[in-house]
Amino acid sequence: MKKIKPIRIIIYIFLIAMAIIYLAPLLWVLMVSFKDSNHEVMTAPFSLPQSPSFDNFTFAWTAGKLGVATLNSFIVCAVALIFSMVIGSMAAFGIARLRWKLSKLSLTYFLLGMMIPVHCLLIPLFTRFTRMGLSNTLTGIIIPYVTFSLPITIYIMVGFFEGMPNELIESACIDGATIYQIFAKVCLPLGKTGLFVTGLMTFVGNWNELLLAMVFISDDFKKTLPVSLSKFVGPYNTNYTQMFAAIIIAIIPTVVVYCAFSNQIVDGLTAGAVKG
Amino acid sequence: MDKLLRNKKAIFIFMAPGLILFTFVLFIPICQSLYYSLCDYKATSILGPKFVGLKNYRDLMKDDTFWIALKNSLFFLVFSCVTQLIMGLFLAGLLTNIEKGKNLFKNIIYLPCVLSSAALGLLWMFIFSPKFGINKLIETLGVEGFVKNGPLWLFDTSGFIVLPMWVIAFVALWQYVGQSMMLYMAQISGISKSLYEASYIDGCSKARSFFHITLPLIRPMVATAMSLNAIGSLKFFDLVFNMTEGGPNHKTEVLATHLYQQGFKYSKYGYASAIGIVLLILCLIVTAFINKVVKTEQYEM
Repeated sequence: MKKIKPIRIIIYIFLIAMAIIYLAPLLWVLMVSFKDSNHEVMTAPFSLPQSPSFDNFTFAWTAGKLGVATLNSFIVCAVALIFSMVIGSMAAFGIARLRWKLSKLSLTYFLLGMMIPVHCLLIPLFTRFTRMGLSNTLTGIIIPYVTFSLPITIYIMVGFFEGMPNELIESACIDGATIYQIFAKVCLPLGKTGLFVTGLMTFVGNWNELLLAMVFISDDFKKTLPVSLSKFVGPYNTNYTQMFAAIIIAIIPTVVVYCAFSNQIVDGLTAGAVKG
Repeated sequence: MDKLLRNKKAIFIFMAPGLILFTFVLFIPICQSLYYSLCDYKATSILGPKFVGLKNYRDLMKDDTFWIALKNSLFFLVFSCVTQLIMGLFLAGLLTNIEKGKNLFKNIIYLPCVLSSAALGLLWMFIFSPKFGINKLIETLGVEGFVKNGPLWLFDTSGFIVLPMWVIAFVALWQYVGQSMMLYMAQISGISKSLYEASYIDGCSKARSFFHITLPLIRPMVATAMSLNAIGSLKFFDLVFNMTEGGPNHKTEVLATHLYQQGFKYSKYGYASAIGIVLLILCLIVTAFINKVVKTEQYEM
């Protein structure tokens, strides 16, 4: 019979405690969001809802404008994702594969972007975009989102393109492919995993972005999810059940994405850092 | 082939969109920000920014809230670097040593990293509100009168580092420790097993092999994870904004929230730009420092 070491048991007890610390708050929000009155939250926050109802969700979705916000978030993230992937992988290809003098320098230029906090850019961008009529439009936040996603996209994709064997490109070349065909038909399909991983990270990052969206958009019908959330907290009376329903609506999409692709997200995270 | 890869037109087409976007949305605004920080510039200024030299920076020195914000940001920086390093390494060490449920626990701990910190901020604000939430939970568990006499959590204002800052720092640790853990785990799993076997044959315990093999070998990753943490904690905005909004009485202001308040509530663009530049300089100094001190020569693995 195999003996179980006591240290094992202690480790597992500790890990289970950690798991509880991580999951309990989230499960609790889910539970409270089904309660039907603020009064019940105040008096018995930790018991199961007496008469579970979906009203909070319907209210948050329609009157709280979270439905519009979800749609906006989705549009912004999807468009930003497509553009950052196209522009990023093109630049990465140019840096990794084409032969020109300044390719290393331009990589450094892009990577510097990772160190720069968004906060320093807010004011110049805001004043310029206001002048260009881009403030309060979704385009106005898509452009910065694309730009801020470029460094990580380029970084990871350069790694992928550099790792591809030279022979591939040579043989495509001999078969008479143009450089654009080599990029689109040989290199991109081979770098699919890289694109997928960076895409996931970009999407999750933009989905959660608050500061820039908050500054650039004041129209209720153009707000993204994280911005709309703050409307649920009033200075004097907050309807907690609705707020919690709103929290659930805001985090469900990323939870789903995470559950489906957790391994790829982890790969992306480590791929981005390991080579640093 | 060489001709194909040196094609000037192709290089231009591949690089231009990225470089143009990057220059116009990132590089030029930074220069502008630097210039604005030297200007008297408010949203109401009709003539646009007016050059006033270092006035904004001199005002910053006299601004009490700025010093609170700087203190809180630095506290945050130190707290998150230290705790994330210790907790991250500890969890990574534990998780690489167990067989069953490794992925499950890993995924659970990493989960909050992908969630919106705006939403999590609201959640934790509720948990730490004095009347319900955690105080109520403790009372339900049997401590009489805890709701009345327990700590005020986010509303406490005493002490050098106020209690709300500790609370927020704890929540940030809760949310982001998964990231450090993940990075360390990836690096640890890359270490060759033969090194450990050799050490066990030499009579080394697990704990000792952790300190003498694992730690030195993951040092480059410590530098990377730490700089990510450091930049992240300096940029920190969402949680503070949604949990306390800098209050009570500006006691929990950090640089990012102070910048937001000054720039977009009071429309003092020039002043806020100066805060932004301070933030940028801090980021650059801290990353340079960490890379200099922590990152040393890479070992052959």
